Amino acid sequence: MTELLLQTVVNAVYAASYMSLIAVGLVLIFGVMGVINFAHGELYMAGAYTVVALYSQMNVPFLAAVAAGLIFVGALGILMEYAFFRPLRDNPLGGLIASIGFLLILQTTAVLGFGVRMAHIKPPTQAKIELMEGVVLTHQRLFVIVAAIALLSALYVFLRKTKFGWAMRACAQDKEAAALQGISLNQITRIAMFIGAGLAGVAGALTAPLVSPTPYMGHSVIVTAFIIIIVGGIGQLEGAVVAAILYAFVHTFVTTFFDGVVADIVGLVLMLVVLVIKPTGLFGAKERA
Amino acid sequence: MLLEIRDIHVHYSGVAALKGVSMQVPEDGIVTIIGANGAGKSTTLRAVSGLTSISSGEIWFAGERIDTLTADKVVARGIAQVPEGRRIFPDLTVEENLRTGAFLRSDKSDIEHDLEKIFNRFPRLRERRRQWAKTLSGGEQQMVAIGRALMARPRLLLLDEPSMGLAPVVIQEIARIIREIVREGVPVVLVEQNAELALGLANYAYVLETGSVSLDGAADNLHENEHVKRAYLGV
Ligand SMILES: Nc1ncnc2c1ncn2[C@@H]1O[C@H](COP(=O)(O)OP(=O)(O)OP(=O)(O)O)[C@@H](O)[C@H]1O
Ligand SMILES: [Mg+2]
Repeated sequence: MTELLLQTVVNAVYAASYMSLIAVGLVLIFGVMGVINFAHGELYMAGAYTVVALYSQMNVPFLAAVAAGLIFVGALGILMEYAFFRPLRDNPLGGLIASIGFLLILQTTAVLGFGVRMAHIKPPTQAKIELMEGVVLTHQRLFVIVAAIALLSALYVFLRKTKFGWAMRACAQDKEAAALQGISLNQITRIAMFIGAGLAGVAGALTAPLVSPTPYMGHSVIVTAFIIIIVGGIGQLEGAVVAAILYAFVHTFVTTFFDGVVADIVGLVLMLVVLVIKPTGLFGAKERA
Repeated sequence: MLLEIRDIHVHYSGVAALKGVSMQVPEDGIVTIIGANGAGKSTTLRAVSGLTSISSGEIWFAGERIDTLTADKVVARGIAQVPEGRRIFPDLTVEENLRTGAFLRSDKSDIEHDLEKIFNRFPRLRERRRQWAKTLSGGEQQMVAIGRALMARPRLLLLDEPSMGLAPVVIQEIARIIREIVREGVPVVLVEQNAELALGLANYAYVLETGSVSLDGAADNLHENEHVKRAYLGV
């Protein structure tokens, strides 16, 4: 029983890691751009398929493929900013609709390029650590956990200690006042889109060998990400991380001890409970325009 | 002239807010713009800063036409603005707010020096440097807003109603700071509803009425003007 409990904790930590990457990216984009990026799940999918293409098909080393996933999907983010969000800057609904359009483009491209079937990827390593009798952590999963902690820490340092980080938070809080400090909105939104999309891409790339990518894998991920950012408080980066951890633990435990469908329902109930008790989310401020 | 506004018009969805405004701001001293609510004072400053686009006319700064530039480029030319309502970043710390003002600068040691100077000028901000800006009092927030603008090392400072919502003692403190800034060589354009304060501080004044300059002249003269007395000084 103890083994099962501990193993479930390990699994939850792994789930929390990649979910945080996805949710934080989504929150960052929402904070700076003011649009909810419906294509975020497909950015995750694009990251996974970067690994399918480079690592599985072209034998590029796994780490290099992951780095390529980050850069490629980050570039997709810049493309989205340039093509949709910038022309639609004063029109958040338009941005949202455009992101749904982009979602379909990405999905179709993946189907055309790789087919609808699951892509099976040979894990780059089969090694595992036996934490104790009956509790294992594969290197592949450990790698996701370490990468998530490293990337999120780097993001935190960027936002709190660098002038572009301050500028990005300033833009999220008051765009005009930010412009009055000489901050170029175009430049900051470009960086925010690169980071936000890149985090989704790297999450997809890192987990690709563990999940068997399909062109439709973004769906379930975006629903989860929405629950997480609502629980954490929309626009709150720390909230997204805490909510991702909370959600991952609840979901993993319920999946293990009941089943996946019950877990999905419990996840939604969790969101409803938070909304009833604190409508702005766990970390949400009081009403702010 | 450092800043020249030449016959600018501004429309908000078809409705005229400025109908041919011209102003001149010299290299030193304080120019004030007074006027009632909705006269177009903020719109004038917003047009200079590139936040609101003008439909005709020209704005020149230090020999360069700036009315087609975006707001960040105007800052790069040397114009800083403390906007109406302060608009500090609530979820940045006091220090982060101030440092954001230096966004375009790369002279690291000079930035530290200026930050120190601002903390000397506003000791209360030094004590609160790690506090979220939203937790400050109104007067302290105005100091953050002014300090943030000074961190840009501007060649011209635009202040939009710095006295708004502040207690009389705090207003006196702000007035003292404005004088100091000017003495240190940064000219100021001061928009105020508090005409007594503004005319007391300024060298030259413009009176805006429904989008046009109705009067202008030396601040002392306008202070004695019958119309100004009746309409803006409440005597
Ligand atoms: N964003 C906007 N959209 C539409 N109309 C606007 C906008 N901003 C200002 N106006 C209008 O333009 C006119 C001038 O406004 P402005 O804010 O420049 O006045 P002000 O002199 O600064 O007034 P106050 O002393 O109240 O700040 C007003 O009639 C105002 O209603
Ligand atoms: Mg105003």
